[in-house]
Formats: sequence, C-alpha cells, structure tokens
Amino acid sequence: MDSRTPWPAISLPRNADRRLAADNFERAVTQHYAPLVRRLVLVLSDEAEAQDVAQETYLQAFRSWARFDGTDVRAWLYTIGLRLAFNELRRRRRWLAALSRVRPRPWHDPADPDLEAALKSLEPRLRAVLLLSLVDGYTHAEISAMFSVPTGTVASWISRARAHLRSELHEE
Amino acid sequence: MGSDRELRERLAAMESRLETAAPPELRSHRSRRVALSFASASLLILALGGTALAAIAIANQAQGHPGVENPGQPLYGARLECMTPPQAAAYIADHGITQVVWQVERDDPAAIAVGKTGSTSVQQTTAPETGVVVPGSIADGTLLMVVDQRHGAQVSGACTNR
Repeated sequence: MDSRTPWPAISLPRNADRRLAADNFERAVTQHYAPLVRRLVLVLSDEAEAQDVAQETYLQAFRSWARFDGTDVRAWLYTIGLRLAFNELRRRRRWLAALSRVRPRPWHDPADPDLEAALKSLEPRLRAVLLLSLVDGYTHAEISAMFSVPTGTVASWISRARAHLRSELHEE
Repeated sequence: MGSDRELRERLAAMESRLETAAPPELRSHRSRRVALSFASASLLILALGGTALAAIAIANQAQGHPGVENPGQPLYGARLECMTPPQAAAYIADHGITQVVWQVERDDPAAIAVGKTGSTSVQQTTAPETGVVVPGSIADGTLLMVVDQRHGAQVSGACTNR
C-alpha cells in the first residue's frame, strides 16, 4: 500500500465530515465558553441574557467554523458574542419584553458591590472594551478589529471607561 | 482606587466569581441518530436471531470515533501522543499529509496573574517545538493537531505506561 497518498485522496462520507467538524470545533472552542459567559454577564449585567447570547454565539460560531481564519479562537468567539450582544440582542429584547417571556436575572456581586455599581454605570460597549483591554490584554488594534471601529475610537472608549471607573470608585 | 493593575485584578476576580453553565449540545442530532441506530439494530438482531456479525456491525456503528488514530483512520496506531511536536510533524509529513493545522494551547498570563486558570488558543501552520501532542481529526481535508503547552500538561494514557 502506498502510505504517501496525498490527503485529499481520502474521501469521507458527508456525515463523517460533519462529525469531524463538530469534534474539532468542540475541542477548540468549548474551553472558551465559560469565560465567554462570564464576560457577557459583566457586559450585559444580566445572567439570563448572557446565557442566552452565549448559547447563540456558540451555535453561530459552529455554523461559521469552516470560515474561521485559525488565529485566535478566544478573540473570534468574543467578537461573535459581543457583536451579538450589542446588535441582535437589542432587537430581541424589544420582542421578548413585549411578550413577557423572559425573566431577567440581574447580576449582583456581593463581594465587590462598589466595583459592580461602578461597572454598571458604564454603558455596555465601554465595559466590553475596558475588559478586553485591561483583563484580557488585547491591543487597541485587536479590539478595533473586533468591533470594526477605528483604533482611535477604541482608545477613546478605554480612556473614558477607565476615567469613569476611577471617578466612581474614588467617590466611594 | 489605585493603579490599572489593581483595577484589573478586581475586575478579573469579579469575573471569576461568576458561575456558568455548559455549552449547548452540538451532538443532539448524532445522539438521536445513534439512538435510532440502536433501536433498528436491536430489531434486526431479534429478527435475524442475533448473529455475531450483526452484533459487530452495531457495535461499530455506535462507536463513531473520528480521531485520526482510531481504527480505520489513516494514522491508526501512530501514537502521535507519544512524540514531541516536531517528531509528530515529521511523521505526519512522512505519511503524505500536507494540510495540517497546529492549535497551540497556552496558559493565559492575565488569568494566572489573578489566580485563575485560563488559556489561549492559537492556530498555526507549523508545529511548535515543545508541548504535549493531542492527536486530532480531519475536517475538510485538513488535519487538526492540538499541542498543549499549559502548565502541568500531561501525555495521554497510552504513553504514561511506557
């Protein structure tokens, strides 16, 4: 048997392809799911919404897995999740609120209520960029790519967010 | 409030206190398929008197392991997990597999700095020099290999007894 057959010569059944894609996806992405949920809770201030958006992020990421450029899985997942949080969620909130089907579960952190209050007084987008920069260490350029905004805008958001938090916490 | 570092630590600690749930199940379709297969297989076995051949067929159907080293896969028995990443890369190349993505898992310094566990994943086309090899599987003609460089990463079962 020629063991040097080029890889494309191996054809797999369509169902097997799907299973392999799912396995690869789970192996690469699942470990980032819990951090994503936590991040969304801080950004959205609601645990139910965060879980909801995280699940949708996960499924959307799975559908887009073949198009993933293979660089930074976490950044890719966060990008999908935060964009969903800021865009689609807005529409969904209106509908679900109208139907009264969702019970909000506001997030509270009794261990650090001052920081919680300060964070909640920031608008969600500023919260998100501050956390990406300060906690995750993403550069302004990387964050600008995530949100499709100029680097200067990101710098401005981070500066405003940091100043706001400092001010709020200083006034305790 | 003091420095960025203090703020980062408080934010990270706050985030780490949050509880999370498991991700949604991607394999529900497969599970249903396997369940249906089991049901069909059971009827078949009953109808045919439960021949050994049928039993083997059903067992194989329920397995469904897609890893590149699993029975029937091109690198069955290669024991890539016992190799260093460069050795594994050489072995893979030697077997004519040219489309390989190396996904390197590393500790996340930001998480470690605040006493959490966390990691980052980066995919690249060349094998890293170090790390524990986790044999992957194939999707769209590309072999995915995972290399675990996180602190405390250990080789999998087959190599630990060597």
